[in-house]
Amino acid sequence: MKITIIDYGAGNLFSVANACRRLGHQPVLSSDEHTIKNSDRVIFPGVGNAVTAMRNIRSRGLHNVIPKLTQPVLGICLGMQLLFEKSDEGETSCLAILDGSVSSFSKDPAANVKIPHMGWNIIDNTESPLLAAIPAPAYMYFVHSYYVPHNSYTIANSYYNGRFSAAVQKDNFYGCQFHPEKSGPAGIQILKNFLEL
Amino acid sequence: MIEIIPAIDIINGKCVRLTRGDYNSVKEYNSDPLLVAKEFEAAGFTRLHVVDLDAAKQGKLVNIDTLRSICDETNLVVDYGGGVKNDDDIATVLEAGAQMVTGGSIAVRDPAIFLGWLERFGPDRIILGADVKDGHIAVSGWQENSHSELFGFLEFYADKGIKKIICTDIERDGTLEGPAVELYKKIMERFPSLQLIASGGLSSVSDLHRLYEAGITSVISGKAFYENKIPLKPYPLNTLAKRIIPCLDVKDGRVVKGVNFVGLRDAGDPVELAQRYSDEGADELVFLDITATHEKRKTMAELVRKVAEAVNIPFTVGGGIGSLEDVNAMLANGADKVSVNSAAVRNPEIINEMAEKFGSQCIVLAIDARREDKDGPQDEGWKVYLNGGRQRTDIDLFEWAREGVERGAGEILFTSMDHDGTRNGFANETLAKISNMVDVPVIASGGAGTVQHFADTFRDGKADAALAAGIFHYGDISINQVKQYLQNANIIIRTHPTPGGGKKK
Repeated sequence: MKITIIDYGAGNLFSVANACRRLGHQPVLSSDEHTIKNSDRVIFPGVGNAVTAMRNIRSRGLHNVIPKLTQPVLGICLGMQLLFEKSDEGETSCLAILDGSVSSFSKDPAANVKIPHMGWNIIDNTESPLLAAIPAPAYMYFVHSYYVPHNSYTIANSYYNGRFSAAVQKDNFYGCQFHPEKSGPAGIQILKNFLEL
Repeated sequence: MIEIIPAIDIINGKCVRLTRGDYNSVKEYNSDPLLVAKEFEAAGFTRLHVVDLDAAKQGKLVNIDTLRSICDETNLVVDYGGGVKNDDDIATVLEAGAQMVTGGSIAVRDPAIFLGWLERFGPDRIILGADVKDGHIAVSGWQENSHSELFGFLEFYADKGIKKIICTDIERDGTLEGPAVELYKKIMERFPSLQLIASGGLSSVSDLHRLYEAGITSVISGKAFYENKIPLKPYPLNTLAKRIIPCLDVKDGRVVKGVNFVGLRDAGDPVELAQRYSDEGADELVFLDITATHEKRKTMAELVRKVAEAVNIPFTVGGGIGSLEDVNAMLANGADKVSVNSAAVRNPEIINEMAEKFGSQCIVLAIDARREDKDGPQDEGWKVYLNGGRQRTDIDLFEWAREGVERGAGEILFTSMDHDGTRNGFANETLAKISNMVDVPVIASGGAGTVQHFADTFRDGKADAALAAGIFHYGDISINQVKQYLQNANIIIRTHPTPGGGKKK
């Protein structure tokens, strides 16, 4: 199976690649259109800032590539957020594959939570094939300051200053706000599910 | 999904709660149940549990007009219980707009009628009410106990196709003393296909969490809402777990300080230890390079890579991190965060640069401090120390924490040198002051000696995570013991259902 991890300069890809290797695959790290299009699975990771990330994506022409992909695509953390229309982080336009926008935890003046949302939190649903075979209770590792509100693409929620999307899906595009590659055996199971979709 | 279903109990047309079903303990919350229902709807709820307590006691429908007005004037999906005892009654209740009907007493006294409803209306609309006292089903508004034993009762109806049950532990209902999680676990184990709606005793968000962990997907909340014990939302607001973090001191690529684990081949091997702690349920790991010289950076980077290959939980690397190249070397090899300490004090601007380049979420500001005025208040007179506590500065702990966060640190790791190694507990007053002051997570360090100390630092110290070294390394307390204790103390922690967790002897 050909797996490409999109490398657009968005920080640390080591753990994602390592998790794939642990599952017996040799992922390719690339920003090359041909390589990405011709893989069986595409992983779209991301840490850091939405503005910088979108700038890097555009400068590599990937904003025209990613939305047209037809194989299963998994956005992780910022990678999931960038699948939506826009982000409150720097008022950035994103890839608009999924309708909706990304909000900030700090925008709500009544928010009495630490930012970033950092640590292990539950996901409340494991019915999606992406989230199958995870022993309950399912805890995942999250690190983020912006979030996607619960919406029609949500396949699992988590709760921090209210309910938000822990995982989403539209057609072949999947996203998880948490880091499966850092979420212990349950996280590895999710990557395995993705590769077996 | 933990769905919270709000409850309206009605006596004499008014919205009330009882304690343990005692009609002498009536507490009126609102004279207009319809207003209360509308409030629930406005808060985002879609379900409502209505109990006519008059009807339950008298065995005939009493407050049917109230039910009708709620169903007419809201879009809530209502389940109704109380006094439904024949075909006319259920027709009246459904006609009034209830989507589901709960039968309790009737299911005990006249199974034929109840099974007839199950057949006519289907298992999505007929709920079995199993209200339990001393292991038996209570009837007539809980004024009497029946001879029906709970599990036999459930088995009988599960065989007949019932899907939904509302199980109330009467001894807990209205007490705010916590739900009957153990009872529910037993029911779920024996009848895994039943949809169990828990009811009674709910008092806090951590109760919701315990129910979720027991596999419960719906819970009824009455008093907990009326007395503002949990936020008025159809789901919990915050389920983030507190973190337990073992810290490993590393020298020349080896873990120093004897680590006393049974069955370890090599107590100095960071990879084996990381794996071991990860299996035990550690939420994160911290590696502290105590040699921390520039020349040793390469050794550390290799170690980081090996650890990252072996475990997939987050880990932080600290000790001698002073430049962007240092950070890059750690992150590129698989570390999730770096902690920066002395170098940031000497050159605070480096925090900005690191946060700018790598993101705040991977920059932990580690602060070692000691309180100088021992006679003064606990939360004053703290000075920052450098170089592993060897060099004093004039910098105030709280000012430095604030500045560090303003400059971009995404987390504070505070070690009280006064508490470190004492095993007398964490510096909770000081931690609470830091935690209230900054809006990033705070890790408590220094002083862990007992399981109770962890609970104290999460409650009193308002810490988001707690770090310890000695007590874990020497095997005095296992991470699992800490987590068990915290769970019993109603503190949200990540339980650890992985198969790898059971290796310890």
